[in-house]
Amino acid sequence: MRVEYINPFVEAAFNILKEVVDSDIKRGELYLKSTSQPVLGVAAIVGLAGDVEGRVLFDMNADTALGIASKMNGEDLTEFDDLAKATITELANMITAQAVTKLHELGFTFDLTPPAIFTGENMEVSDSGVEALIVPIELSYGKMEINVAVRER
Amino acid sequence: MSSEILDIQDLNLPVGSNASGYKENTEVIDYKMVTFSLGGKDYGIDIMKVKEISKAAKFTFVPNSIPFVKGVYNLRGDIISVIDLRVMFNLPIPESNSAPENMIILRLEDNVLGVIVDTIDKVVAISSLRIQPPHPLFGDINIKFIKGIVENDDKLYIIIDVESVFDQKSADAAMKKRPVHSSVKGAEAQIEAPAARVPGTAAGDIDYSFIVETLATFSKFSVSQFNEGWIKSRYSTWVQQRKSSGQSVQLKSGIDSDEFLSGFSSPYSGLFWDKDYADMITELLPETDNANYSAWDVGCGKGEEAYSLASALKKRYGSKRIKINANDRDLLSISTAPNLVFSKNTVPEIYDEYITEGKNGWHFVSLIKDLILFEYHDVTNGNQLPPVDLIIARDVISFQPRDDQQKLCDMFYEKLKPGGILIAGANELVFTEGWVPVGNGLVSAYRKN
Amino acid sequence: MKNKQDFPNINERKPEGQKPDGSNYRVLIVDDSMFVTKQISQILTSEGFDVVGTASDGQEGYEMYKEQYPNVDLVTMDITMPRMDGVTALEKIIEFDKDAKIIMISALGKQDLVKKSLLIGAKNYIVKPLDRAKVLERILMSIK
Repeated sequence: MRVEYINPFVEAAFNILKEVVDSDIKRGELYLKSTSQPVLGVAAIVGLAGDVEGRVLFDMNADTALGIASKMNGEDLTEFDDLAKATITELANMITAQAVTKLHELGFTFDLTPPAIFTGENMEVSDSGVEALIVPIELSYGKMEINVAVRER
Repeated sequence: MSSEILDIQDLNLPVGSNASGYKENTEVIDYKMVTFSLGGKDYGIDIMKVKEISKAAKFTFVPNSIPFVKGVYNLRGDIISVIDLRVMFNLPIPESNSAPENMIILRLEDNVLGVIVDTIDKVVAISSLRIQPPHPLFGDINIKFIKGIVENDDKLYIIIDVESVFDQKSADAAMKKRPVHSSVKGAEAQIEAPAARVPGTAAGDIDYSFIVETLATFSKFSVSQFNEGWIKSRYSTWVQQRKSSGQSVQLKSGIDSDEFLSGFSSPYSGLFWDKDYADMITELLPETDNANYSAWDVGCGKGEEAYSLASALKKRYGSKRIKINANDRDLLSISTAPNLVFSKNTVPEIYDEYITEGKNGWHFVSLIKDLILFEYHDVTNGNQLPPVDLIIARDVISFQPRDDQQKLCDMFYEKLKPGGILIAGANELVFTEGWVPVGNGLVSAYRKN
Repeated sequence: MKNKQDFPNINERKPEGQKPDGSNYRVLIVDDSMFVTKQISQILTSEGFDVVGTASDGQEGYEMYKEQYPNVDLVTMDITMPRMDGVTALEKIIEFDKDAKIIMISALGKQDLVKKSLLIGAKNYIVKPLDRAKVLERILMSIK
């Protein structure tokens, strides 16, 4: 992945999560992963288009997702219902959008496609020929992996 | 690493009695041996030479080692060689290989190593007076490796003289007479006159195998056909150097490992190429009518190589549209690359026209910078780069796991246009079919046929 | 996003959602995210606004506006939505009622679309993530 893209995504994730979810968040070491991989149970995905193509995937387990959604809604959600899904989707949207805004400032033109959310056990994501940057984040609700796969057109 | 290692002191083996048929209660019990079986016969090793016993299943195979070297084993952080005594003595090896092997770990004068045996029996305590000299007709093992024979509880134990088996001095002889690893089994193997085939030891080979393993551990360097030539010649000078300075041949740390590899890396690694080197590279680049020229710089580090290449390509193919994809799997290095700044005196004069001073230091002008796209990328993950005219991957293949090296080389082949050039590390050789060596002096280069 | 105790006690002052005549401002929320809709709605109702409808895409939003006209004082309009996007819906509503007060909600770093919306006639815009102060400030600027 192009070097200039890395920081905007890392910073956006950090800033937004800190602001709307958890002031006590930690970032793990970034690394690269090849494409096919299991996801944890809840995966929100935002597509990217424009100068690049790719997607950003927000991967976490159901408990973590519920914890985050509860916090963002200011109420205890007990099941991963439509509101919880919309909340996680919105979080994915906000983070990606902030990264893209930053990238605009640096002169890269990306578009976002509306986010989608997937839930279920034993899911796997595979997109051919794209390696992903993994940004591991530790929240008090559990861990979230932000998986950014972007390539130049 | 499946292992269940016991300290020999806590060894839970029954200690055999010496009372069998011997009336001499006055006999001094002064010799304990760990007994085991090999090819259906009973053997013993002096307990003083045994560090511990263990079960172990996972050995790291060492390429090019002699057959009885099963591989190396990580014993709580120490890398030890593991010898299969059955292979060494031409004894049959049980077929099933899934079960963990029984291993006796020996502590010799200046070496710790593991030996694989069929089963470990117990500790037997005897009087050393009862050990009889080996009979020349005794059996499968060269008499010079046998300390003696002792009878205990109706069993006859052959006591192996481990120091002589693994003696440094017989190493050279062993190197000359490598045993052929035959699949002979059972009786046939028993009949063989082992003396001719049994090496004293291969301490030299073991040292070499150790070094191969340590290079992988400390420096992520995998010895293979791509670099073996250099490594072997380096090994012989290394042994001489270390011995003459009274140091161990073995690599004890990353510092040793890096020192061993010093001289491997290509010229101007991490530096801007000087005029001569840039000219050597440029000479390899053919005339072409194409309006575009694309290059892939694999393992570009902080970017010196990519900027040097960009400058060379600009001079060579000024009017063409030049594009360089440069990548590295080290995040810190590659993050530095797009905005690399340096002090002017580190840059040879040939770059003067392409550099300028900014507020943080000197950097390349956008005429050059814009030719390069720096990416955080690990080549082993694959990519969708379109075919390129030039791949520069100096000292990249050698730092991949051994199994991935050929795959990577094949991928380079696939990613090159016909007639495209691969520049490998100065000490890396590519033998695969389809590559025509076109390198000169300091540059190891190959053309896709 | 805020806990209940964070909301000011609305009895201590005149709520911001009240018109000078004492009736409440009527708001239509057009957003495809249930979360955002809920967020805006919570902030506004706590200030005495009436949320008279929520639509989850531009087409639905446009139709609701027409149906309820002239009983909508303000529309919050998301930019990226399925079926009909917010900019198109804005255009159609302005075409129908040139005095419509519409405020754009954007997360997408789409300065271009925000600018375009302001040119078409949106009164203001809010960039997500939304917080109470920001939402109220921009909305009050648009209606007063």
